[in-house]
Amino acid sequence: MDLVKIFIKSAFVDNMIFAFFFGMCSYLAVSKTVKTAVGLGMAVIFVLVVTIPLNWLIENFVLQEGALSWVDGSENGEGFSGLDLSYLSFIMFIAVIASIVQLVEMIVEKFSPALYGALGIFLPLIAVNCAILGGALFMQEKQFPNIAGATVYGLGSGVGWFMAVVLIAAIRERIRYAKIPGPLRGVGMAFLITGLMGLAFLGFMGFEI
Amino acid sequence: MKFLRNIFDNAHATLNKKESTKKFFPLVDAIDTLVFTPNHVTKKGSHIRDAIDLKRTMMLVIIALIPCLLFGIYNTGFQHYRVLGQLDTASWLDMIGVGALVVLPMVIVSYASGLLVEFIFAIRNGHTVHEGFLVSGMLIPLCMPADVPLWMVAVATIFAVVIGKEVFGGTGMNILNVALTARAFLFFAHPTKMSGNLVWVTGYEDAKVAGNLPDGASGATALGDLVQGKADPSMAAEIGASFDAGQYDLLHSFVGLIPGSIGETSALMCLIGAGLLLWTGVASWRIITSFFVGGFVMASILNLVGGNVYFDLPAIHQLMLGGFMFGMVFMATDPVTASHTNTGKFIYGFLGGFIGILIRMVNPAYPEGIMLAILIANVFAPLIDHMVISSNIKRRLKRVKVA
Repeated sequence: MDLVKIFIKSAFVDNMIFAFFFGMCSYLAVSKTVKTAVGLGMAVIFVLVVTIPLNWLIENFVLQEGALSWVDGSENGEGFSGLDLSYLSFIMFIAVIASIVQLVEMIVEKFSPALYGALGIFLPLIAVNCAILGGALFMQEKQFPNIAGATVYGLGSGVGWFMAVVLIAAIRERIRYAKIPGPLRGVGMAFLITGLMGLAFLGFMGFEI
Repeated sequence: MKFLRNIFDNAHATLNKKESTKKFFPLVDAIDTLVFTPNHVTKKGSHIRDAIDLKRTMMLVIIALIPCLLFGIYNTGFQHYRVLGQLDTASWLDMIGVGALVVLPMVIVSYASGLLVEFIFAIRNGHTVHEGFLVSGMLIPLCMPADVPLWMVAVATIFAVVIGKEVFGGTGMNILNVALTARAFLFFAHPTKMSGNLVWVTGYEDAKVAGNLPDGASGATALGDLVQGKADPSMAAEIGASFDAGQYDLLHSFVGLIPGSIGETSALMCLIGAGLLLWTGVASWRIITSFFVGGFVMASILNLVGGNVYFDLPAIHQLMLGGFMFGMVFMATDPVTASHTNTGKFIYGFLGGFIGILIRMVNPAYPEGIMLAILIANVFAPLIDHMVISSNIKRRLKRVKVA
């Protein structure tokens, strides 16, 4: 039941796009058609589901204060248990994310060259997508008691991001023939739509689950 | 008739005389085509011949809204005298008088500010005035609480028309319902004037400050009471009783003599409007029925969960309260922001009703959650259409391959 709560909360209530405005760059750039949006959304889900549990392991067995006590079995701040490596968390998380993104890039290139071409530079750029690093840092902050919670959190955040990017892509496909005033065409309109969607999604804020 | 026609012809001729006044053409044209059938004709081959046009469609919706408006005026006065404890002494004329003084200025402000923006955009962009605002201008005051200040109505209307519609290129291009955008904007920008217990009955706050209220007079809406009963079980019995046989029983909720936004309280008046809209084919029966089913399913699920006074309220009674009926008939059916495909309309309506009741009952912050649910359904509508169309394409491709 807890896992269901974590999923709903991370996908709808704390949606990466509408609640935190994370991962906006690729969100705005690839949301011109539904097809590419689905592709990148899937990639983001995959990267989040893999990196957040990995980072959870690193956080809990390497970085946290006292997390290294398993090395020499020491306790109470003696030996390895006295180490606090949390200042390394940014660099460690980024390293994990970057390597997983490389993996995704190879998979996509192998199995769907067309999608690889459509996503272009934005696929490797997932590595610096703030939704991914943000997910890892939120995971650190939320202190999930076990790895299942962290995995579901990653899945939920990914699904939330996927939903947002596919929704805006469908909307942008619909307004393709709208007579939008010149200066607003393109990214300006995407920002306005995101704001209006955020207004609608405020309805999920403060859900008591 | 001839006299009116002459006025418009003269106005057109005067404007056309000078180059500088030519750009005000949309101003006259808008009023002209509202009164008379436009005299432009189709230049290429036409496939459908129909006397109705966008303005006539909008007019039908406004006519369908009139029962809600009149009842809203009466109910505003009725609630005013109810909280003051003067129901016995006030006549129905007094009630209509009080209500009219509250509601009509809001209607006027909403139309004036909205049409002003429309005219400015029409003159600036050199097109004719879009008809879409005719309905929004009526919907906006009807979905506001009685005590909302007039300047807020104006600000919300201008925001909704500019950001919700004109930046998309005007009527027919917007993605979110304009009236609901206005309401949601106010709801989040000025929550103290749009929710809570003080704003639903005109004169309630003043009387409370002055200490003139009789004992037990409450300005809360039925849904506000339910949220309170859910949070505080000691109140539950008393609140539950008022729903079984009292202020909020099924009959009162259906007829609509309960506090709430001006036009939304009466399910009966909404159904009359729905009848007209369905009979004339302006509203989609697919959206209305699936919206109702969606709300009913969600309310029934929460009935089964039960456990507090809110969840135990029978599903059908739940749907009579708040803005559910009003949103279902007049907001969700907006042909621009709803799904365009027939299958999509079922999914869209179901989603709206389902999420609406979910937000209303599970989220304590937004008892009037229907507005946000319809906005969410609006956001989902293009994706639903996309899915429906691509699945149709796939099915037909398969058929081609088999043959």
